[in-house]
Amino acid sequence: MSDEPTQGGAPSPDHELDPVIHAQARLRVMVALSVLREGDRLAFPRLQEMLGMTAGNLSIHLRKLEEAGYVEVVKTHQGRTPTTLLGLTRRGRLAFEEYTAAVKALLSLTEEK
Amino acid sequence: MVDDDPEEQAPASPAETLRLIEAGRAAAQRDFQPDPRLTYMPWGVAWLVGFGLMFLRFGPDGRVLVAMPELLPLVALYVLLVAAAVVSGWSGMRAGRHVRGASSVQGLRYGVSWAAAFAGVIVIATRYSDRLPNPEVVLLWSGLSVAVVGVLYIAGAAIWQTREMFVLGVWITLANLGGFLAGPGWHALAISLAGGGGLLVGGFVEWLRWRRGQC
Repeated sequence: MSDEPTQGGAPSPDHELDPVIHAQARLRVMVALSVLREGDRLAFPRLQEMLGMTAGNLSIHLRKLEEAGYVEVVKTHQGRTPTTLLGLTRRGRLAFEEYTAAVKALLSLTEEK
Repeated sequence: MVDDDPEEQAPASPAETLRLIEAGRAAAQRDFQPDPRLTYMPWGVAWLVGFGLMFLRFGPDGRVLVAMPELLPLVALYVLLVAAAVVSGWSGMRAGRHVRGASSVQGLRYGVSWAAAFAGVIVIATRYSDRLPNPEVVLLWSGLSVAVVGVLYIAGAAIWQTREMFVLGVWITLANLGGFLAGPGWHALAISLAGGGGLLVGGFVEWLRWRRGQC
């Protein structure tokens, strides 16, 4: 599981894309949460509705993102109802920016050929 | 592991990945921002029709341009304004539901600023309503109310950094001042055409941007 980032120098074109983000479901979670303004959090049911995923499936992917330190999961109470609030961590935002930049770099490389 | 899950699979190509990112971002941005057709246009219709009727019934120099019951333009304006408040408030709350944090605090306090401003308008204008001739009472209420709207649009543009909202706030303020200085009757015409028309055009322009997910 431990993919150490390659050390030093310019990012190589065949640089591995972050495997935590590079899966359709988790990419969609990251994209949706990246649109939230910094300091905002989204409740679980709204994210589920936006992405059209089942609660179980979404939970599995959120756990992976949380384990990677990309998503912060805060369990709280709204009155008496328990609520789960989600947001990208600073590290998650950075990882997503790097991922997007890496994809763009790969794309420009394939276009050049 | 859940590697059999199709959603665990990586997107087919970098181009497909970028398409997923851009489409997802646009969709989420649309989701978090209320539809400008619902936030601006109901107010545009209310001003265009409501103040239009006011102008026709209570024209400049006390002229009645189109004969109709005195109460009709007032009731029409009131009903349309209430309807606009309901529609725009509902769409704003829908976009912000289940979002906690800085945005919801901003939205709540901005909402309170509208309530506070209109409480001031109502209390001040009520006190002078019995002491002024009828056309001046209409001018007092509508002039103060539209001044508040113009200022709060400019303030809203400062909070959410939207250019359309800023331009609209300045435009509404200018229409209000110009109409007010021209006097009773003319003010209603200015708010109907420039104000209501401006809200419809501004709402449409912002909708074009919203539709692409660029708000």
